[in-house]
Amino acid sequence: MHPAFQGLITIFVGVGGCIGYFWASNLFIDKVLFPARGPNAGRNINRANMIRPWLFLAPAVFALGLYLAYPVVETLRLSLTNRVPGGGYEWAGLENYTQMAGDPKFREALFNNILWLIVVPALSTAFGLLAAQLTDRIKWGAVAKSIIFMPMAISFVGAAVIWKLVYDYRAAGEEQIGVLNAIVVGLGGEPTAWLTVPFWNNFFLMAVLIWIQTGFAMVILSAALRGIPEETVEAAIVDGANPFQIFFKIKVPQIMGTIVVVWTTITIVVLKVFDIVFAMTNGQWETQVLANYMYDKLFRANDWGVGSASAMVIMLLVTPILVWNVHNARKEMR
Amino acid sequence: MKHSIKTSCAVLALMSGPALAEQITVAGPWIGADEEHVQAVLAAFAEASGHDVRYTGSDSFEQQIVIDAEAGSAPNVAVFPQPGLAAVMAERGFLTPLADGTGDWIKENYAAGQSWVDLGTYAGPDGNDALYGFFYKVDLKSLVWYIPENFEDAGYEVPETLEELKALSAQIVEDGETPWCIGIGSQAATGWPATDWVEDMMLRTQPPEVYDQWVANEIPFTDERVVGAIEAFGEFVLNDEWVAGGSAAAASVDFRESPKGLFDAPPQCYMHRQASFIPSFFPDGSVVGEDVDFFYFPASGEGDLGQPVLGGGTQWAISNDSPAAHELIEFLKSPEAHEIWMARKGFLTPHKGVSKEAFGDPTLAKMNDILLEATTFRFDASDIMPGAVGAGSFWTGMVDYVGGKPADQVAQEIQDSWDAVK
Repeated sequence: MHPAFQGLITIFVGVGGCIGYFWASNLFIDKVLFPARGPNAGRNINRANMIRPWLFLAPAVFALGLYLAYPVVETLRLSLTNRVPGGGYEWAGLENYTQMAGDPKFREALFNNILWLIVVPALSTAFGLLAAQLTDRIKWGAVAKSIIFMPMAISFVGAAVIWKLVYDYRAAGEEQIGVLNAIVVGLGGEPTAWLTVPFWNNFFLMAVLIWIQTGFAMVILSAALRGIPEETVEAAIVDGANPFQIFFKIKVPQIMGTIVVVWTTITIVVLKVFDIVFAMTNGQWETQVLANYMYDKLFRANDWGVGSASAMVIMLLVTPILVWNVHNARKEMR
Repeated sequence: MKHSIKTSCAVLALMSGPALAEQITVAGPWIGADEEHVQAVLAAFAEASGHDVRYTGSDSFEQQIVIDAEAGSAPNVAVFPQPGLAAVMAERGFLTPLADGTGDWIKENYAAGQSWVDLGTYAGPDGNDALYGFFYKVDLKSLVWYIPENFEDAGYEVPETLEELKALSAQIVEDGETPWCIGIGSQAATGWPATDWVEDMMLRTQPPEVYDQWVANEIPFTDERVVGAIEAFGEFVLNDEWVAGGSAAAASVDFRESPKGLFDAPPQCYMHRQASFIPSFFPDGSVVGEDVDFFYFPASGEGDLGQPVLGGGTQWAISNDSPAAHELIEFLKSPEAHEIWMARKGFLTPHKGVSKEAFGDPTLAKMNDILLEATTFRFDASDIMPGAVGAGSFWTGMVDYVGGKPADQVAQEIQDSWDAVK
């Protein structure tokens, strides 16, 4: 059977099944379990209404448990066990974690991740804020915004490929096909294999994520800037504030909550960054990051213990930021 | 929702059930031109057997196969480029031993049959050895590619010894040209071309027994003989004048792009050390033997290490048992299966029953002779080492070394990672 046809049938059966589930379970509650008639009609209606939300939530709770809670528990278990030949497991305690902590590649990944965490959210948010402010009142602002936002629509791997070409290196004397080297050579410099320069290559990789995330920061912050009451700005102008004072002392404090949300959202993306590093350097030349380290251990070294342990580390690092992010976002909405 | 998933599964199972019976999936590392070649071989099998054969190629095969096997959705047949990974998979119980008598068949019909059987024999989940891998498509690695016309124009001769090779390299530099194109980039597998260099150097500086001890980690990576082999590679790659674009280019250029420097006019380089499969990546229309040729990566003229040859190969293993999978392995024993790919590009075989005339070009036959005439044949070391080393720290270590880290430090890091997986 043609795969497209199989897909259509799956969609039809799936959607039909969902509708059927809600319809049938509602019917069951109202007609069979707690019928809204007879001597207990009033009590039955109340009971049915207490159960109904759970009925509707059940599929989602089940799916979340299956695809979110179960993998977390399983990863935790794997991180505490070692494999034995034949497919079994043995309890290993914290052995995988101590082994990982002693791995120089892990420490390199941790250091690089911290570097990413400092640089990328800060620059993305700053550029986003700058772009939002500058494009707010000009005629072609919408066009500029669309162009800045466009990288958001490109997949991380696609972006990595684009930037890999930007950084491409050809020997001196040959025609440079990488934009960056073409510029350097055009200015009379020597071409450099950018991605192989230790330490600095981290920043060349970060540029890709900043390029992607600036658009996101800009869109959210631009909306926040528009939400600032005109009166406060006008009052500042009347009081004789210059544009910088208006921006930093009037506007920024009022959108601080949004800035924090944007910042933390990008921070979470950074902690999970994998695609860019994988596609551009695969963590070599000292550009390893945690997520790529995890992949390396899981699927190349076949070391499920250490791989899962590093997955747990990433999760532990993401969780507090995620909680803070959700907390701030809810505060914003109120 | 629960119920809808079940229903849809049931419906799908009912509808696709009859089709599964004759469908066989094959996963392998070949993409691009090589994928066309393997498809041609599989098409012949499909025609002969009537099965629906589906091949999926991936340049991250090593990761994909582990994920698929763990998830319980492994292909019927997996083509392993690394015996080390196949051994791990066999130990975990993901592979099915080949049919009885396959080992005997290999011993009888393959040149140096016993060594191919040994390379495909691993301990299963119960600890008992069994034959899991069937070698099909072998690569010869100790080759240097060059353009005969360029050599003629410059008056260079094919070197007979390692010392002559170095002298020639120095001569080319003296003439204001660059001797080598080296590229160790390979996306997620960056670094492996450098490990091949080190292995070749190991065979040229040490007796084969030392090589075997090294592969088994009976001598540590930090042993001075191993570090010496790494540094012997360094004599070439770390010499900015010897490598097109300097060492920095060697570290970042993709191995598939690297040989193209030979074909430039004026040439970027005169020589390129790479395995027998590399013509798949030569510019379209270049004829091996006319436009481009190869010579044996020469052994040292001093000492008595003979004519060592480094090789590799892909082995087919059954990762999801089905009768059709065994039929496919059976088909691979036929000369026809070998001759189809022989007629194309980059295929060598130890099969003694094939017709030499089937080789697409006479130079492939010449290559097969190098393979069979070698005094020492050793399998690619990094492919036999545990995955964490052979496809991990050894690769990364070589990248670091080409990037300027000292050899003994790199060796120590590789040894540390090896200790970690023991």
